[in-house]
Amino acid sequence: MKMILPTLLVISVLSGGPVRAHHSFAPYESTLQIKLSGVVTEFRWVNPHVYIEIDAADEKTAEKRHWLIEGASTSILNRAGWKFNIIKPGDRITVIVSPLRNGEPAALLKQITLADGRKFSNGAAAGRATIQ
Amino acid sequence: MRLRLTLVTVLTAATVGGSVLAQSPVVRGINGSWEAYPLRGEGFGSGIQPKTPVKPPPPIAEPPLKQAFLDEWRAVQARNAELTKKGLPPPSTGMACIPEGMPGMMQSTFPMEILETPGQVTIIQEAFTQVRRIHLGAKPVAPEDAEPRFAGHSTGRWEGSTLVVETVGVKESARFRNTPHSMNMRITERLRLVNDEILENVVTIVDPEFLARPWTWTWMYKRWPGYKIEEYVCEDNRYFEDPAQRYQRLKVN
Repeated sequence: MKMILPTLLVISVLSGGPVRAHHSFAPYESTLQIKLSGVVTEFRWVNPHVYIEIDAADEKTAEKRHWLIEGASTSILNRAGWKFNIIKPGDRITVIVSPLRNGEPAALLKQITLADGRKFSNGAAAGRATIQ
Repeated sequence: MRLRLTLVTVLTAATVGGSVLAQSPVVRGINGSWEAYPLRGEGFGSGIQPKTPVKPPPPIAEPPLKQAFLDEWRAVQARNAELTKKGLPPPSTGMACIPEGMPGMMQSTFPMEILETPGQVTIIQEAFTQVRRIHLGAKPVAPEDAEPRFAGHSTGRWEGSTLVVETVGVKESARFRNTPHSMNMRITERLRLVNDEILENVVTIVDPEFLARPWTWTWMYKRWPGYKIEEYVCEDNRYFEDPAQRYQRLKVN
């Protein structure tokens, strides 16, 4: 599965048939997924992308940073089961993400676990979580 | 009494305006919400396969551009793929929140809604809330009179159960698959129901300035009963073109 997702992305780019309405996800390290747990400081339910900002620590390295987490568009997330008021500042969440390749603290969401334990994906274009 | 009067009014209108109704029926069965077929994965649509599977259309071939333009197009595609592989995707109109326009908006990246009203078919693509109005039985707009628009200017007619739509006046900057076109580009679409659930759209582009021959492909859409198209305004775009390197960047802070 780890190899299939990047391959699909490359095929999509080469065929010129992207299914994303806004931009390429290539700036993210698609083969790397990390898990972050922390507290939400901002939740922006907007298009073209939903953004969550968290103060979070990498579960493996324990490094704390302020992260910008990119979600899909609002309608994609609605169809994946989200709701506009599903998150609020102060919530403790855990996310599985692919970070930017350039090392800046931003990442593409793969899966979110809310404080109440509910899990949601970020839609098909973002790809599935390959770690748990 | 009121019901009887209404019935009489409707019947009279139908009789008197019979010929008009025959030329421009309000509903031909394509009204409602549609999603791309084959289905595009979680979040893009219903995830519900059609009751009767239909063979998906073949992938779209590369544009049959005249040789010099084709060479240029292939070089750009190769360069873009190379950059993308390095994680440096080239700037795109989508990244800048500019809508696809025609014909890209009809690939139905997100679901779309078709509204049949007297004399007009309106198509609303959820992504970027793109709207196109197809004027039925209207005089076609001459390319030289067509103010450049993303969706162009569309006129349509029913040929039996096929809606034939002609579009001109698409902005030169609205490039489908990076393909250049002139203001003389003409897009013809032939929409027909394959069965009650699947709508087929055979698209043909003619543009003698850039294309060596017509470029044709087929898109299909699956009916999505009850789906309500959502709002999509590109309100908080954090992507920008890196001025020095000319690739897509995300504004992190």
